[in-house]
Amino acid sequence: MAPMILTLPWGVALIVMPVVGALACYLFRRAAKPLGLMTVTVTALSAAGLALRTTRADSYHHAVGGWGAPLGIELYADGLSVLMLVATAIVACAISFYAARFFDDKEQARFWPLWLLLLTAMNALFLSRDLFNMYVALELTGLAAVALTALTGSQDALSGAIRYLLATMLGSLAYLLGVVFIYHGYGTLDLAMLGQLVESNPVTWLALGLVSAGLALKTALFPLHFWLPPAHASATPPVSAALSALVVKTAFYVLLRFWLEIFPSEGAAPAQLFGLLGCAAVFWGGVQALRARRLKLLIAYSTVMQIGYLFIAFPLGILLAWHGALYLLLSHALAKAAMFLAAGNVLYYGGHDRIADLDHVAQRLPLTVAAFALAGVSIMGLPPSGGFVAKWLLIQASLDTGQWWWTVPILAGSLVAAAYVFKVVGFAFTQAEAPQEAKLVPVSMQWTALVLAVAAIALGLIAPWTLTWLDVGDPFSGAVSR
Amino acid sequence: METLTELQWIFDVLTGCGLLWLAWSCLSSRNLHRAVVQFVSFGLLMSLAWVRLEAPDIALAEAAIGAGLTGALLMASLARLPLSGSADIRALKSAERIAGARLLQLLRNSLLFAFALFIIYAIFFLPPEFSGLREEVATEIENAGVRNPVTAVLLNFRGYDTFLELLVLLGALFGVRIVGMQPVRTSMTSEPVLNILASLLTPILILVAAYLLWIGTDGAGGAFQAGAVLGAGGVLLLLAGWRPARALMASPFRSLVLLGPLAFVFVAVLPLLSGRALLQYPPDSAGTLIVLLEIAATLSIGLTLCALFLNVSADDGEQP
Repeated sequence: MAPMILTLPWGVALIVMPVVGALACYLFRRAAKPLGLMTVTVTALSAAGLALRTTRADSYHHAVGGWGAPLGIELYADGLSVLMLVATAIVACAISFYAARFFDDKEQARFWPLWLLLLTAMNALFLSRDLFNMYVALELTGLAAVALTALTGSQDALSGAIRYLLATMLGSLAYLLGVVFIYHGYGTLDLAMLGQLVESNPVTWLALGLVSAGLALKTALFPLHFWLPPAHASATPPVSAALSALVVKTAFYVLLRFWLEIFPSEGAAPAQLFGLLGCAAVFWGGVQALRARRLKLLIAYSTVMQIGYLFIAFPLGILLAWHGALYLLLSHALAKAAMFLAAGNVLYYGGHDRIADLDHVAQRLPLTVAAFALAGVSIMGLPPSGGFVAKWLLIQASLDTGQWWWTVPILAGSLVAAAYVFKVVGFAFTQAEAPQEAKLVPVSMQWTALVLAVAAIALGLIAPWTLTWLDVGDPFSGAVSR
Repeated sequence: METLTELQWIFDVLTGCGLLWLAWSCLSSRNLHRAVVQFVSFGLLMSLAWVRLEAPDIALAEAAIGAGLTGALLMASLARLPLSGSADIRALKSAERIAGARLLQLLRNSLLFAFALFIIYAIFFLPPEFSGLREEVATEIENAGVRNPVTAVLLNFRGYDTFLELLVLLGALFGVRIVGMQPVRTSMTSEPVLNILASLLTPILILVAAYLLWIGTDGAGGAFQAGAVLGAGGVLLLLAGWRPARALMASPFRSLVLLGPLAFVFVAVLPLLSGRALLQYPPDSAGTLIVLLEIAATLSIGLTLCALFLNVSADDGEQP
């Protein structure tokens, strides 16, 4: 068994499987649901295979077309990529099984091809090390995500989607312009090679500015987050879960790669700016989440806030900080997907997500409320959740580097998060009549949300193993030695 | 680079100024219809600029897609806007008039201006002699199966990117299927002049597409350009009021749209079975495989572009 795990091209499977699935779902639209579920399962198995392979051997390489960089494109997976791929696989599985019950037949036929294309694009992005290939993957991610946002075709969804489309396209084009300058300046598109070549000059600064601005827009860093709340709040719950948990992280991943491989020498000033914007995002997102009257809007603003935390790692810049940011990213992916799916159950049951009227719903859906509360524990950063480990690492890093002031937003943010989580969970403890037109929520939909939330908690318990695994192939070596 | 003759110099300056002027007037136009026309003219002039930059492949793509098809799609979208009667942008802009908006706008514009200045500044620091990966391409082109370096890059060295690009196009089609539901407001009337034009031009466009496809292995041309021309032919037919039979709109349509991506998947995965890398062609059959891939991709691209147009302008709710 062992040699087979080492030799099979798992990375290729992660890209080809969902493509084939997407094409099949489009061709045989009546069978889209079983085909889609099968594809997602097989893709998740491939992710597991790749993960097993990287724990036994070193990082994964595959030269597409047999050419190798710089002429061709290489697929590459180190600990960082593998962790992103595994998180994507887990969340994607949960969302798929949820969506299989949530959508009606007509929506199923539209959902699956786009959803599998989105999965392809994200997998391709996490496996890529080529700047232009990353652009194409980002483009496919953005386009599929926008189309999924518009899935219901309602007025809100359409206007949210078109804003999202314009923002994501602008972000991609800024990124592409930056890549053009890098290619013209250094004559290669391979990240690892660029890491050796790059020097500090106006071309590099310009590329840094363009790429960072474009990707910050795509990942919705304050104040470029304006498109996120309407898009994430107006999409259908399974899609919102995918957008918040996975899609915004793709742009962050690319930014992180750039930062680790190409720009580590450009350090100080932009890193401080990122940190400050991150703090602003934590507060702004938190306050807006507290003010929100709709459950899904609250969760969307919570995403704006959590994205802010990721950027606090940049001014810290040591291994602990990157570990913290990555851990936050992973636990947020699980917890936020759980929250949106829980909100989906509420919508399914009562037909609305007005927070003020949640008491009619909360007591009838104990599993859902449990899922929301557990996900909230991770979002707040209480032990033993993944969110706790992440914030602990970030605080430790800020003390180690003597920049204690970054601990203030990290801790204050937790309090704000606690406030908005309890604003929702509190309704479980008040008495109310059952709503008139309640629609029974399938048990599998309730359990899916709960499983994701429990996984977010469990992530805190397996932290030592996950963090060792993250270091396979030394993804952070470039930035840490600075 | 050889020295420019005076005539070329004048031409370049005129093209550059014309581009800037068209871009500005397109963006600042209050009339959407006029803005679309200016956008199309911008695309045509841009393709001339690409010719002058000795990039005929991009020039072809820009003319066919940037000016032609995008223009047709924009026009079709315009016909669906509720205020298409006046096509006036003022009504759309009213939302912008909030207190403090002017100050923000000023701030935004000055930021953008400073950024543009910095881009110009940085251009002077680019290496003057730029070859990129031209040398690497030149040494490997013998093994690529085609003689046109652009095609070699697109279909062989970086065929994986092209495959993902085809998926982007497919994603666009899936997306338009979702949003393009509402019936169009103005119905398309068939006119005799348009009918005659369509019946004359469509066969020619098909021939041009075939030529572009074939020449792509040696010179400027290739699947994307050929597909765009094919799509333009289809759009012309649709404009003239021709509609495919309903029976063709279901499975046959879908299979043909998927032909390109499916061919790519097949060619990509096959080498894996014999222990080679994804998309690694056997050296002696690389040329044949590339041509086959291009034929499949051309048909898919052409049909997808048509379908995008049909969906945007579908007047009786046809859904491919």
